[in-house]
This record gives sequence, C-alpha cells and structure tokens, in this order.
Amino acid sequence: MLEKIGKSLMNIKLLRKIFNWGRAWSLWSVHLETGCCGPEDMARACARFDTERFGTLPFPTLRECDLIFVTGFVTKKMAKRLKLAYEQMPEPKYVIAIGHCSISGGLWWDSYSVVQGVDEILPVDVYVPGCPPRPEAWIQGIRMLQEKIAKEGLKK
Amino acid sequence: MSIMKLSMGPQHPITGHFRFILDVDGDLVLKLEPDIGYTHRGIEKLAEKRTYLQNLPLIERVNSYCDSVGTMLGYLEAIEELMGLEVPERAKYLRVIAAELNRIASHLYAACLFSVATGLETMLMWPINDRELILDLLEKLTGQRITYTYPTIGGVRFDMSEGFKEEALKRLDYLEKRTEDYYKMLLWNHTFQIRAKNVGILKPSDAIRLGIVGPNLRASGVKADVRKDEPYEVYDRFDFSIPTGKNGDSYDRLEVRFKEVEQSINILRQAIKDIPKGPIKKWAPPIVPKGEVYTRVEAARGEFGYYIVADGTMKPYRLKMSPPSFRNLIALPYLCRNVPLADVPVIYISLDLIPMDVDR
Repeated sequence: MLEKIGKSLMNIKLLRKIFNWGRAWSLWSVHLETGCCGPEDMARACARFDTERFGTLPFPTLRECDLIFVTGFVTKKMAKRLKLAYEQMPEPKYVIAIGHCSISGGLWWDSYSVVQGVDEILPVDVYVPGCPPRPEAWIQGIRMLQEKIAKEGLKK
Repeated sequence: MSIMKLSMGPQHPITGHFRFILDVDGDLVLKLEPDIGYTHRGIEKLAEKRTYLQNLPLIERVNSYCDSVGTMLGYLEAIEELMGLEVPERAKYLRVIAAELNRIASHLYAACLFSVATGLETMLMWPINDRELILDLLEKLTGQRITYTYPTIGGVRFDMSEGFKEEALKRLDYLEKRTEDYYKMLLWNHTFQIRAKNVGILKPSDAIRLGIVGPNLRASGVKADVRKDEPYEVYDRFDFSIPTGKNGDSYDRLEVRFKEVEQSINILRQAIKDIPKGPIKKWAPPIVPKGEVYTRVEAARGEFGYYIVADGTMKPYRLKMSPPSFRNLIALPYLCRNVPLADVPVIYISLDLIPMDVDR
C-alpha cells in the first residue's frame, strides 16, 4: 500500500524533480580502489579539486553510498569483490568507469587476468577516459552523471 | 576466549587493494595473513610480448601510483648497460630532477595516508595540497600529472621548459618551510605520537634478516641507500646524507620519510644549479644485444631490482622485477603479532606498501 502511494507521488513532476535534485547532489562514493587511478581519486576528493562541492564524498560504509568509481583496471579476482560491493549498495546506484583500463582493458588488452571493460560485469553510467584522467575530468564525469540523474524518467 | 577469523578489505578505507585475514582473540590480533593478487596484471609475462620501447608505459604502471620515474630508471639502466649506451649529461640530470620530485610527491602521499590511518583529517588535506604543487612542476616538465613515461631509452623525452628553474626553486623554498609545519602539526603532535610511537618495532637485525628495503630499513637504523652505495645516473656528484631512525617503530618510518624529503630538496637544488647544456637524447637501436643484466635503483619505497635476459631480438626474453613493496610486505605479518586491532592500519600504512607493486 505504502509503496503504491509512494509510486503515485513520484509520478508528480515537481516532486520527482525535487527527488532527482536531492539524489544528484549527494552522490557519496564507495571507497573501493580497483586499479591505479587511486591517487587521482584522493586528489579529486582533497583540498584543491574538492568534489565535495558537488556532493561527492568518499565514504567508508557501503550501505550509505550511491556511487562507485571503478578506478582503473579490474582484475578477475577483484571483479568478484566489485560485484559483491555493488550488490550490497542500496538503490538507486550509479557507476562511473574511470580510465581506459576500465572502459576497454586499455593497456592490458592482452592480459590474462584483467577484465576487458568493466561493463562486462556492472552497468556503467558514465565513462571518463584517460590514463589516469585528470581530476577536472572526474569532475566533468560527476557533472554528467548529475545531468543524467536530473533527467531520470518517471518509471524508476 | 575463542579465536575468530576476521576478513578485512578490499573494500576498506585503509587496506586499499589488499585483504587481510586476521586471527583475533577479542581485540588482540594473533596472526595476520595478507591475501594478495587483487591487482595482478601479469606485467612480467606481457613484457615478453612487447618491444623494449613498448614496455616503457607497462613498466611505469607497476608503480604508477606515485613513483613512476624511480620505477622506470632501473629498467632503462639495465637496457642501457646491455647496449653500452652512454646517456647525455643533461638527460641524466633531468632524470634525477624528475625522480627526486617524484620521491617528494610519493613521501607526501605516504604522510597523508598515515594521517588518515591515525584519524588526523587536517593532515590529509595539507600534504596532498603540497603534493599538487610538486605535481604541477612535474606537469610543467613532462606534460602529465602522475604517469609521465618521461625517461626513455637513451635520454629523456622533453627538455626543461622556460621558467622551470625559477618556479622549481620557489616551490622548493616553500616546501622546505612547510616541512617545519608538518613537524609541528603531525610528528610532534601528542595524539599522533601516542598512536605511532612504539607501534610495530622492527629491530635492525630482523629488518636485515627479512630483507626489508628502503626507508623502512633506514628507519630501523641501517644505513643503506643505493644512491650512495652504488651510485647510478649522477647521484655521486651530489652532497646529501642518508637519514636513519633510532627505534624502527611506525613513528620513525614516517620521520625518515620527512627527512628524506629535505634531502631530496637538497639534491634538487644542486641538480638545478649544476645542470649542463647539451642534447637530451641519444639515438638508440631497437635491438638489444644478447646478454643478461641485473640493475638496482633506489625508488621512493626502496630498492627496485630488474633482471633482464635479452636474446638479441627486439623483445626481452625474460624480465624479472623485484619491487620494494613486495619485499617490505613480509614485515607486515611479522609485525602484526599480538597487537591490538587498531594498530594494524597504522603498521600497514607506516610500511607504505603499494598493492600494484606487490602483485605486478
């Protein structure tokens, strides 16, 4: 019953907009580093680039996060953990693939232990190319995801 | 009480790409077993498929985290020794400048991770902000922020840009002043000292027996630095000292890193002053003559060894690396015996391990 009321409320355009606005500006990211874009993750979260301006705060607890940055290559051993982490997160959840390695395998295109593109295991929302991408590119990725969330349809 | 198995990581703010399997009795850690291999890419195997020049970006990403120049130098030293190639003087100086800047950036990164492990959030922001200044300099020199592929076979890829010297000296002056602030804010801070002093003591005899390298070895009081023992590039021309610690605890390991930053600033000033004019690159043939070679360099985390077997073609027959983090990893299970659970992150971070370096 409550779910039905909730769904019908979400169909009201204004309410939906407010909801999307709230989601877009509080994207807390999981602290799970998979590859070597890790230091740029730190750089973008810290003093100079400070993505907390856009509401993206690295947070240790999975259960309160909405966003995964797949930082760089994903090995087959890490892929299981990454999927586990993704499944533990509450809905709605978003994925940003950072770097060439997580987009298509990149430099490790012929490696026996690297997953060729993280979209084989997770649904990716935004791709940010680079090896590693500059923090400005990360910020652009976050902004693109925010725009995507703001347009999110009435169905979900 | 019964012994419980506890799994920590890889989704954990401190552990990075590792998983630790801990045997805990209440709050006491009896045994720690690191589970490595989360970032294994098979670089040594991939290197056999590619030419010597194509291997450069591959090798760099062994430790692209912070210290890519230091990592690459060993590989280049090995190839140049096989070829019998003499690198131009200016290129050697430029390599030293890039490597030392990288060492400073790496040690500052270690400092900010350490302060996260001890819960000092301000000191997370300060070193990483100063690291940005160093990265700006490196960007001016090489055109990239953290993965440069700057040194290449026979020299370096770019020359110093105009105004680099003045900018570098200005920023080094600032950083030297800033290290005093770090001492006041972090190292002499009572809260920090409680967390880091007398935690994870590594005796000199144990450090040598376990084969620990780099700042971790020097923190135990052993004076060993490849830059002094077996000078490569032009390190024998600079006047600098090797800082050592007294007790070999986590505190000393961080203090040694800060002292090394001071020495790196010292080296950089001399290198920028003395740099000669001339060409920056020498043409190198794509084929490396038959032979085997082992070289070692001092990367930011310690001694980095390369063993190359060349069979007279464009590709290496075998490339074996001995990275510093892999050697230092063995200290972690050794030190994490009968310690409180809260000390495990401090010991882990103080060793400054890089999972990518361990797994390759």
